[in-house]
Amino acid sequence: MKKNLFSNWYNSLLTVVFGAFILWVVYSLVKYLIGVDTEIIRVNLRLYMTGRFPSEQLARLWGAIYVATATVALFARATVRNAQMKATEAGLDFERSHWTDVVRRFWPIGALILFTLSFTQTITPTLLTLVAAAIGLAAYWLGGMMPKWLIHRSWIIVVAGLVGFYAVLVGFGGVGWDLWQGFFVNIVITVAGISLAFPLGLMLALGRRSTLPAVRVLSVTYIEFLRGVPMITLLLMGAFALGFLIPGDFQFSLFLRLLIAITLFQSAYIAEVVRGGLQSVPKGQIEAAQSVGLSPWKTMRLVVLPQALRNVIPAMVGQFISLFKDTTLVFIVGLLDLLRAVQISTAQPEFFAQGLEAVVLPFAALYFWVGSFVMSRESRRLEKKLGVGVR
Amino acid sequence: MKRPPFWRNIRVIRAALQIVAVAVVVGAFLYLGNNLRNELVAKGLPTDFSFLSQPTGVNIADSDFDPASPVWRALLVGIKNTFLLVIVGIPFLTILGTLIGVARLSTNWLVAKAAMVYVETLRNIPPLLIILFVFNAVILQLPPPRDPSTPLDWFVISNLKITGPGFAASSGAGALLAIALFAVLAAVIVGIWRTKYSETTGHHSHRVLWSLGVFVAIVLVGYFLTGRPVSMSFPDLDGRVITGGFGGLGSYFAVLIALVMYTASHVAEIVRGSIQAVPKGQTEAANAIALSGFQRLRYVILPQAFRIALPPIINQYLNFAKNTSLAIAIGFTEITLITFQAIGNGYPAPQLILLLMGAYLLFSLTISLLVNILNRRLQLVGN
Amino acid sequence: MQEETPLKRLAILLLALGLVLAACDSGSDDTTTTAAAAGGDETTTTAAAAAGGSMLQTVQDRGTLNCGVNDAVPGFGYTDADGNFSGFDVDYCRAVAAAVLGDANAVTFRPLTAQQRFTALQSGEIDVLIRNTTFTSSRDGREGATFLTTTFYDGQGMMVYAEDGITSIDDMANLSVCVLSGTTTELNLAARFGDTPYTPLTFDANDQLQAAFVAGQCDGWTSDKSQLAGVRSNFPESEGGPEALVILDETFSKEPLGPVVTDGDTQWAQVVNWVVLATITAEEWDLTSANVASYDGDDAGIRRFLGLEIQTDEGATTFDPGLGLPTDFATQVISQVGNYGEIFDRNVGPDTALGLSRGVNALWTDGGLLYSPPYR
Repeated sequence: MKKNLFSNWYNSLLTVVFGAFILWVVYSLVKYLIGVDTEIIRVNLRLYMTGRFPSEQLARLWGAIYVATATVALFARATVRNAQMKATEAGLDFERSHWTDVVRRFWPIGALILFTLSFTQTITPTLLTLVAAAIGLAAYWLGGMMPKWLIHRSWIIVVAGLVGFYAVLVGFGGVGWDLWQGFFVNIVITVAGISLAFPLGLMLALGRRSTLPAVRVLSVTYIEFLRGVPMITLLLMGAFALGFLIPGDFQFSLFLRLLIAITLFQSAYIAEVVRGGLQSVPKGQIEAAQSVGLSPWKTMRLVVLPQALRNVIPAMVGQFISLFKDTTLVFIVGLLDLLRAVQISTAQPEFFAQGLEAVVLPFAALYFWVGSFVMSRESRRLEKKLGVGVR
Repeated sequence: MKRPPFWRNIRVIRAALQIVAVAVVVGAFLYLGNNLRNELVAKGLPTDFSFLSQPTGVNIADSDFDPASPVWRALLVGIKNTFLLVIVGIPFLTILGTLIGVARLSTNWLVAKAAMVYVETLRNIPPLLIILFVFNAVILQLPPPRDPSTPLDWFVISNLKITGPGFAASSGAGALLAIALFAVLAAVIVGIWRTKYSETTGHHSHRVLWSLGVFVAIVLVGYFLTGRPVSMSFPDLDGRVITGGFGGLGSYFAVLIALVMYTASHVAEIVRGSIQAVPKGQTEAANAIALSGFQRLRYVILPQAFRIALPPIINQYLNFAKNTSLAIAIGFTEITLITFQAIGNGYPAPQLILLLMGAYLLFSLTISLLVNILNRRLQLVGN
Repeated sequence: MQEETPLKRLAILLLALGLVLAACDSGSDDTTTTAAAAGGDETTTTAAAAAGGSMLQTVQDRGTLNCGVNDAVPGFGYTDADGNFSGFDVDYCRAVAAAVLGDANAVTFRPLTAQQRFTALQSGEIDVLIRNTTFTSSRDGREGATFLTTTFYDGQGMMVYAEDGITSIDDMANLSVCVLSGTTTELNLAARFGDTPYTPLTFDANDQLQAAFVAGQCDGWTSDKSQLAGVRSNFPESEGGPEALVILDETFSKEPLGPVVTDGDTQWAQVVNWVVLATITAEEWDLTSANVASYDGDDAGIRRFLGLEIQTDEGATTFDPGLGLPTDFATQVISQVGNYGEIFDRNVGPDTALGLSRGVNALWTDGGLLYSPPYR
């Protein structure tokens, strides 16, 4: 490959020109990074990560993080054991993945955590993060002792984890979700948005294919309307107009209204992705299922949907990444996410008029970049594992 | 055969389900709409669209907008600004995206890797962040309007406004425009004639050269005949007033550059995917008849790839149009910011947001329609 | 499944829009009766018969006050890195909470953008809006808002760079001016410039505006003079320090800032109004947070005000004006938050970064505009 760099005059010219350009870029970057003053990040790190979360309640936030870590570890273990049991039942060999594989998959996240910790001003966050890692490992090990019925119903773990997470944060006079801010809120909205929009989008896609014309027209109208408008307009609607639709004094919190707007918006896009998937399943599959006597619902659930969803994993994950990036739009309604937090910090009296936007904006970009990058890498891994485009 | 009882009759069930679905949706709409109306009335806010004819009360940057003009005029200015972003951005992002997509597949390792870095970096960052970065780290770094830079005396560059040479039309320009349209027609006719000629005689048609030549000749003749009505106009700086030339606000360029770069990274991926989706046999066949790399790309690969790429690229165009709403963060007065201003100045939010959504739907539909016409013409027969 | 052609899509979308518009215009037309009932000004003496809603009851049941504030204006509504709110308006939120709930800390601060603030109030998301909001007739009438006693008499001014040598707005033809969108500032700017051409740059929030001003994209920044004073005092030395900026003398509009509540709840409006008036009354009587709790004098007026027992011929009574508040609400407000002078000095006074003098914000006895009705 490298010999193509100078194989002919054309290539040589390109290489020289590009090479010079790239060297200049790298040089400017290095020069800039060496001279940059990261004081603003050090001082404002808590604002960036958690916004105005009351400092005396931070213990709750760490508690919630521990709950989340434990849940993920337990769920991972359950999945591995599930696959193991299925393999032994079918008499196949089970390949245990080595822990180095996990590291290779998620090293950007680990790097980002270390990077964040490098800006903390005390040793406490580092210690607390180590505790989180310890809890994760312990949960993974404990997962080895889970009873079989739990492994088969591993969704119980996820549900319990979600409930625990919420309870730790909000229960017993905790912090309501209007104060979930900073990068924390970007993540929460992404996870909540994906979980809520996916089933809704699925239903809409099925509705769009329905043989009942009324249902089909309604689904199409909804999807086309929501896909034609920018998300910002829906957020504006959520902030300004939704309150008028509810009679009387009952009030949804701003966070909830935003979540509703984001869910409605994303569900239309997910519906389109699923529709593409449904179209990609050969008709023969449905006919075969019918010939075996499966009801339409069973056909959909056991034959069509698994194939359809598998075929559109890249587009689906692409949509999730897009949701993650769109969480930055909540600035327009005053919700303080990571991007808005870094903007505010450059206007603080100690830091303003010093051109620090060029420091904090790339800093914020890093977080979004790592999240999106890891998601797309996982999607490619999943595609390869499930044989998308090959079978 | 006996008919099943009506509660198990599939046609009855289907009809009933549909009636229920429609009733639920329509009922929900009426209920919410009624709530909306009642709440607005209870708070003393208008429930119709009559506010549109009230005076706006504010000026709009870089336009001759008069504060006494009605609100609907202000909204039109916003739509015009959004349109300016879309109409300039789409061609640029297509070209840039195609170049980078092709570069990604280059055999030159450095070029390919550079393209990959570009795509992988920009694709994974929120467009809002890119806009903010370009505005703060690029546009705002330009000299302030009190002391702009004027390279070559052809440009006036400040972080407020960037102006360059443009065209000034005087009387007779209308006639020139008519002549130009006629020239286009003539060029098309010549092109068809040359194609027919090449088909019957087998010689090269050179139709592009002929058409272009005819067009240029007619326009040049017309230009001199109408008394040279169009001339270059250079921006003239007098204190703070810039007359002549052609330019735009700094924030306009910030949004344009940022979104073109961002959307181009997505288009690059689509172009790359579509080129790779062209069956390998095509490449091999092109090599077998000794086409050069460039000819292979131009005559065999790209046309087929273009057909595959067009539907997802339509999507990217729509995304570009919708992302222009992010200009609100840096104060460029496109339709979303103007709506936002109006809401802040006391005009009713639900109606204004509805109009805003309608405006974007219009953009989406127009782009969809236009590109779909192109798409349909490119579809393989029988597909 | 046949593909929907774009024309079909258009039809469907028009159908949808039609549905929505129909829903908007549907509903019966007894607007006159509903409006009259909602905005009527029945005089009531009991809490139960409050016109419209009963916000007071709602707030007391909820146990916290939802207060709409600013979060980026030093001195008025500002958050520090720990998320703690401070400022003049913030202190008035706490005063209302102290009066209504007995606890000045029982407040949920909701930072709002300038564009959202009225919708948030109208839709009930906040109970009261104390966010350097200017009292105007169109806001009172059109926005479904009720303005209460002005807490801060401000004026709109223009801040420019000293090096430009500008002495008045009339020197500013063809210059660019930064302004926040959706504010009276914007409207006043247009009115003041009239036919003189200029370039307005409208931003949705102050951070980006500040960056644009510092970069020179706009030659002037117009806002309430108190806000400009705050920004100027913080201007870094690397850019020339506060001396590099000049706030023009001209005040081109009156900006009376005060708390706002929604139309239709007279009792709640009166409650908030009297909290403000209580702080002014307290200063008139020299009651401060230090001495109010230990007052034991005989002045009947003060004893009435503080809800202390007054010896009359019929025995001991405490005065209840029928606002719906506890009789000692004034004591709560003054002891927990302070009187007007304390609130002013703590947040925007001469010893703070803003360094404002009382000016027209002094008591009427000192030549200012603050005057509270008798508490009897």
